[in-house]
Amino acid sequence: MLALDLLANGLIYGCFYALMAVGLAMIFGVLKVVNFAHGEFFMIGAYTYVLVSLKLGVSPWLALPGAAFAGALLGWLVERLLMRPLYASYASWGFMKDEYAVVVTFGLSLLLINLVDKIVGPYSFRGPPLVDIGRFAVGPVLLTGQKAIAAAVAVALMVALALFIKRSVWGLQIQAVAQNRLGASLAGIDATRTTSLIFAVSGMLAALSGALLAPLVNPSPDIGAFPAVKSYVIVVLGGMGSIWGAMIAALILGVSEAFFSVYVSYDYRDAFGLVILVAVLLLRPQGLLGEKGREV
Amino acid sequence: MKPSRRLWADRLRFDMAAALAVCALLALVPLVVRGPYALGIVVVSIYFAIVALAWNLLAGYAGQFSLAPAAFAMIGGYTTALLGHYAHVPLALGIPAAVVATALLGWVLGKLVLNLSGPYLSLTTLAFAEIARVVIGNSHEFTRGDQGMHVATLTQSRVGYYYIFLGVLVAVLLLLYALLRGRLGRFMMAVRDDPVGASSRGIDVVRVKSIAFWVSCAICGLAGSLYGTFSQLVSPELGLLQQTGLVLSMVVIGGMSSLTGALAGALLVYMGSEWMRAFGEVQTIVFALLVILFARYLPGGLWGLVAARQRKGAP
Repeated sequence: MLALDLLANGLIYGCFYALMAVGLAMIFGVLKVVNFAHGEFFMIGAYTYVLVSLKLGVSPWLALPGAAFAGALLGWLVERLLMRPLYASYASWGFMKDEYAVVVTFGLSLLLINLVDKIVGPYSFRGPPLVDIGRFAVGPVLLTGQKAIAAAVAVALMVALALFIKRSVWGLQIQAVAQNRLGASLAGIDATRTTSLIFAVSGMLAALSGALLAPLVNPSPDIGAFPAVKSYVIVVLGGMGSIWGAMIAALILGVSEAFFSVYVSYDYRDAFGLVILVAVLLLRPQGLLGEKGREV
Repeated sequence: MKPSRRLWADRLRFDMAAALAVCALLALVPLVVRGPYALGIVVVSIYFAIVALAWNLLAGYAGQFSLAPAAFAMIGGYTTALLGHYAHVPLALGIPAAVVATALLGWVLGKLVLNLSGPYLSLTTLAFAEIARVVIGNSHEFTRGDQGMHVATLTQSRVGYYYIFLGVLVAVLLLLYALLRGRLGRFMMAVRDDPVGASSRGIDVVRVKSIAFWVSCAICGLAGSLYGTFSQLVSPELGLLQQTGLVLSMVVIGGMSSLTGALAGALLVYMGSEWMRAFGEVQTIVFALLVILFARYLPGGLWGLVAARQRKGAP
């Protein structure tokens, strides 16, 4: 029965991971770079949620869209100010495009962590829960109200994202730019605007993930590190750049981590995913789903 | 063929001369700075300079953007600490052992990531660094986890330590100079600029990459080992990703692919951040902002400015 409980909780964490990781996958799909500041989008979301609801006394349900807005704005700004040299023809860095991306996103991550540390303070906050339901049991599965509600919101967001990508005009444009940037612009799609959109969506999802987890993880300025590392693992496991691969890989990671930490070793649970990352990159760099998962 | 060869040799010689001039200035520091705390700060900044130079060899010259330099410094420190704690190995053997261990690990890592480039390489090395840190930080019985381990010290004298670090820095500079001036250094840059082109001209890309990896990692290990004996403590914090971020920012601010750039960048960033402490903990904010601005608008770093001026002034 413990196994069922682990499975359920693993799936729930998998949903949060997925919310984080799809944004990273989208960015990779379009620009072929890893955003090392992705964890800080999560952190900004968590802080916006906590501060808006605690300091302004707004209902947490209104703080959630606030966090989404903050994340989207941050993502858009990052793309606008820092990512343009990656595809506009700037002379400098030229062949060292990947390195430029590593340096600026690493620098951005340091900057955001320390800015928040300076402005808000280094202590961790406890986010107000979305609902006031304590621990309850569904059969053998132990849940808290917050966990259940947050997971439901996360699932709803994933479905919305899937519909957005598959059905909306903007989603189709995103797919087109990810497949072939030049081809897309020849077909009249504004590739620059689409890239901005991708960063905004990606920032929004990461921030929402942070906001939903805020009551469970007590945000502090460096809280972004752990979800970021998880999403690197997921993006690699799902095939770099694949949104569907990332969603599936997130659930797999959530569940297998839950089992690993109970049945193998709790201390080394954070190393588990990283070992998977290295193994996948070395043995199957195209990811679990391979080329088939390479849609988007 | 000939003129461009001279150009590179000239540029490297000028770079090396500037780096040695900085070292000469550093040698005078203990005459002026007497306080043990202030001297300690300069020692730590030399530690960072050594790591920055090592990382610059790998990333700046060989084009392998590893995110594990801090992890290798940590592994070097722990090698010496563990040997001293469990086997009572004296430092005279413990420090070389750290160099050998990190060189071997670096060689293995280099072999593993041989076919990876760009984001794949960054992620693998980052994962390696985090695995090393998590394992060391959580092996409570063996490494005492987050508490860190005590390490014996080489000498109690601050000034003595200062010159040990400075000596190692100069030795590392000379080694890098010899390496870069020769055939191997040019091969590294060829591999960085165009791996396919390099191998089509008969360069053994595999060999060049793995040499860059193990040499760079061994230098990081040596720096970490020495740092451990200096602070008499090694802890998993040495290998934090933030430390790698710091090394990265030093090299980017100072100037990638330049000896003086990495050296001066490390000294400026570390001492600058100590100086800025007085104005309330804003140093990391300032430097993170600087890194972004430099990467965006001045990718040659500070040394890029100097070098451009020197090239203009040359007849």
